[in-house]
Amino acid sequence: MKQVVVHPEKCVGCMQCMTACATAHSVSLSLFSATQEKPLPKPRIHIGASLYGRGFPNRCRHCDPAPCLLACLPGAIYRKPATATVLINPDLCINCASCAMACPFGVIRYHEDNWAPPGKTVAIKCDNCISRQAVGLVPACVEMCKSGALTFEPVAEAQNRKTREITQTIWPEPVTVATGKFDGFELLQAIKKSQHNLATAC
Amino acid sequence: MNHVIIGNGIAGIQAAETIRYLDPTAFITLFAAESHPPYCRPMISLMLEGRISSDRLAIRNPHFYDDLQIRSIAGAYVTSIDVDAHAVTIDDHEPIFFDRLLIATGADPRTMKIPGHALNNIFPMRTVSHVENMLTDISTARHALVLGGGLVGFKAAYGLMRRNIPVTMLIRSEYPLSMQVDDIAGGMILDRLKANGLTVRTGIDALAFEGDSRVREAHLSDGSVLACDRVIVGKGVQPAVGFIPKDRIPVDLGVLVNTNMETGIPGIYAAGDVAECIDRVRQCPWINAIWPEAAMQGRVAGMNMAGRTVSYPGSLGRNVIRIFDLDVMTAGLINPEPDDGYQIYSRIEPRLPVYRKFVLKDNRLLGFILINRIETGGRLVSLIQRQFPLSASEMGILKTL
Ligand SMILES: Cc1cc2nc3c(=O)[nH]c(=O)nc-3n(C[C@H](O)[C@H](O)[C@H](O)COP(=O)(O)OP(=O)(O)OC[C@H]3O[C@@H](n4cnc5c(N)ncnc54)[C@H](O)[C@@H]3O)c2cc1C
Ligand code: SF4
Ligand code: SF4
Repeated sequence: MKQVVVHPEKCVGCMQCMTACATAHSVSLSLFSATQEKPLPKPRIHIGASLYGRGFPNRCRHCDPAPCLLACLPGAIYRKPATATVLINPDLCINCASCAMACPFGVIRYHEDNWAPPGKTVAIKCDNCISRQAVGLVPACVEMCKSGALTFEPVAEAQNRKTREITQTIWPEPVTVATGKFDGFELLQAIKKSQHNLATAC
Repeated sequence: MNHVIIGNGIAGIQAAETIRYLDPTAFITLFAAESHPPYCRPMISLMLEGRISSDRLAIRNPHFYDDLQIRSIAGAYVTSIDVDAHAVTIDDHEPIFFDRLLIATGADPRTMKIPGHALNNIFPMRTVSHVENMLTDISTARHALVLGGGLVGFKAAYGLMRRNIPVTMLIRSEYPLSMQVDDIAGGMILDRLKANGLTVRTGIDALAFEGDSRVREAHLSDGSVLACDRVIVGKGVQPAVGFIPKDRIPVDLGVLVNTNMETGIPGIYAAGDVAECIDRVRQCPWINAIWPEAAMQGRVAGMNMAGRTVSYPGSLGRNVIRIFDLDVMTAGLINPEPDDGYQIYSRIEPRLPVYRKFVLKDNRLLGFILINRIETGGRLVSLIQRQFPLSASEMGILKTL
């Protein structure tokens, strides 16, 4: 099953995904008209500062088990196994913010939304663009991201690719370890060098 | 394997579900003193507020017990446990035998044994029936008195105010929610409640109630008399341990459990408001009587009962409350003893208003208070639960939050 995979080291902090997300969750589905809508459509992906001193695309991880789902008092949060998506039912939500206290990533916001009953403040977070997926589109944030920080692919594939990429940076070509009394030193050099490469590649 | 669970609160229900998930053939019997199907206890205050009706309280579908093949015995109050015979008894009933027992009986509201305490219209607030009783002829209420400024007293007062009923709240400390917040946050909460019409009297208590059959007035410790036609007693709760043989099963305030939620007797477990386990930040036995802990403890107990050894790192007190337009989130240690090596960082922006307080020791986060802008507070909860020293960038989060 395809999932949105975040590659924080590639994020340039342009925040285009936020605009795309808000538009994808508007009534009109067009950026220009969306800005005129009431309630104003808001993004479900948030760019925060990362360890790399750049942007970090922060969105719901659709955890399993999901801390927010376990904490929700009225049982408004549920899982849709077909798309591995954790969703919030706006009719049941009582805006208690128990989920804010439970989510270790801080990705839930509370506001009115055109998917919720009019005038009601509810918990809002990423829904994996299931309505776009239903018509064969990829999630809006992925479609918009031009730097490759967001991809839509099976998680196992992304993991394998990442492992290959890392292996490549460590041993771009077969390493000849010199024999002799400086063996350990050579090996240490090789490791240091690859660590340096890795750090500068990110 | 024959499992018996006492109590169908969230702890008991989570345990039953977990056992069934891990062992499709286990025999599960669940005793419930309340005859209501499993419901969300914290939401009864929304019923008082008038925001929801009782049919919105259910936390499982009506066929839940049948679907999971759980024998549920509703309206049955377990009166004793025979530790040697591995059996529980209910009045006038054959003993029921168990291989594994879970005590998930929650807590009972503390009562006030003062003159007139048995008059009509004096209510505790713990169960859906309590709130249903409060709501009969609520439209005739003229003045309500709430005793206690803890979470339940506060929620009762808030619910009544939302119904435009004048409320007086008596609290012993200087501000409400004194277990959850510090004086600064408490002051902000108090101001907000007063601005919305609540009368708060601090350092004072009721000594007696008077009335014919219904309560009419309360006599207070400062000698004054207060007219009231409804009283809600929010004097805290006590773990429901009355039926437990304390000479056999070690009980402090609650039933003492180890990290597997097992009591001093192998095969007998406890979870939820009734259980006393290690507090993560205090590192001593403690009861954090909150919903998410009861849920998690029930799951852990269920796993261990079903034979999967899982340990529980201890409980963490935490709360999130919305008070009119003020949002409050707190967790862990927020009022530590002074001079004990704690690092305290706080910040207040009175105009917004925003307030932050972080309590650390050796760079480990032990507790926090957030007033407003609480959306990402869950990150702080996970930092407390992790208990590693915070890195420089994580310290940075505290400053920008
Ligand atoms: C008004 C109110 C508001 C609250 N708000 C919040 C909140 O906002 N956030 C939060 O985290 N927590 C809140 N709480 C606390 C929360 O409800 C409890 O922590 C939680 O319900 C505990 O669950 P439990 O399963 O341990 O016990 P309980 O829910 O108390 O369930 C125990 C059950 O066992 C039954 N029982 C007891 N003795 C026996 C016996 N001998 N035999 C058979 N059955 C027995 C009881 O009748 C009861 O039904 C609130 C509580 C109240 C009352
Ligand atoms: S909202 Fe937070 S806790 Fe819930 S599934 Fe998403 S990331 Fe996980
Ligand atoms: S705010 Fe809504 S979704 Fe979040 S825990 Fe409360 S009811 Fe559930």
